[in-house]
Amino acid sequence: MTMKSVLVVDDEKNIRQTLAQALIPMGLHVETAVNGEEALQKVRDAEFDLMLLDLKMPGVDGMEVLRSLSDVRPEIRIIIITAYGTVKNAVEAIKLGAVDFIEKPFSPREIRELVNSVLARDALEPSALHGYDAHIQWSKRCIQERRFPSAEEHVRKAIGLDASRAEAFNLLGALQELRGDGLGAAKSYRAAYALDPTYKPARMNLERISAIPRSSGTILLDGQEEL
Amino acid sequence: MRFESQYIVVVGCGRLGAYLANRLSEAGSSVVVIDVSPDAFRNLSVGFSGFHIEGDGTELGVLAQAKAEQADLLLATTRRDNVNLMVAQLAKSVLGVPRVIARVFDPQREESYRGLGVDTICSTIVAGQAFWERLSEAPKS
Repeated sequence: MTMKSVLVVDDEKNIRQTLAQALIPMGLHVETAVNGEEALQKVRDAEFDLMLLDLKMPGVDGMEVLRSLSDVRPEIRIIIITAYGTVKNAVEAIKLGAVDFIEKPFSPREIRELVNSVLARDALEPSALHGYDAHIQWSKRCIQERRFPSAEEHVRKAIGLDASRAEAFNLLGALQELRGDGLGAAKSYRAAYALDPTYKPARMNLERISAIPRSSGTILLDGQEEL
Repeated sequence: MRFESQYIVVVGCGRLGAYLANRLSEAGSSVVVIDVSPDAFRNLSVGFSGFHIEGDGTELGVLAQAKAEQADLLLATTRRDNVNLMVAQLAKSVLGVPRVIARVFDPQREESYRGLGVDTICSTIVAGQAFWERLSEAPKS
């Protein structure tokens, strides 16, 4: 098997270092970029299997990198690095094929587990999907390949196997929102929130989609940051 | 102890906390430092490659933000014995951190902390012993 290649894109040196330190012992080839421009340049010059991408960067930000990649190199797997586990526009990220998020700060174990699960997804066989996790992983793979109806089908299968996971309902909500079913999306986000009120992505999505007009700005709770 | 790939939370970024955070980071650990004061993070060296979080380490929400439940080690190094004890107890009993060490100033409290299962280092006793050893040395003339 050839060595997998990872590009770490973050303007903060400590994040690049932490990620490289965690990934190199996994036998991955790791390169880094300090901003969006450099990331896009490196992608033109070399082949990468995976990109760990910070959304908040000066200049060309992560979302713009995602948009460009979606056109030129849609096959590169993406893990988005976030400050508080949520991105303002997770639905747009999903539309661009990015469905994996990691929240700062992260432990080396956490990074490795996520990178492994993202890379392992490519070896999944659609004929041999057993259990909740397999369907969720397949659904994410479908999102990476922009096959959204299949992604929705499999997330529904996953929910059929285990209806107690907030993550699955949140993912379903995002897919419903993506195809314009706001009502269905709101229902799914609400189900996710009810299952686990501490699951931040669902709470943020629910707040966003409910769009309750606020008198002055955004109400921030518990260290949450509006991105 | 091997430091590479360890996930370590340090509560308190004063001189001691920053010293330990810097050394652990340089030794290859992934370090998160928590302090209520944003100015405290100036104590971190340029070689520090970890994260810092502004907040009160006695709050579970702040410890959760630092993902302390995933930590291999937590060090409570603030100037206040009560804070260190509370952080250490939360880390040990609520979050299940496998190894927790708290800084203690008051030697009389150390015993009771140990009774609660918290590993401690009493800086007063450590300094006292260093003084005593120095006194025992033959005076250099």
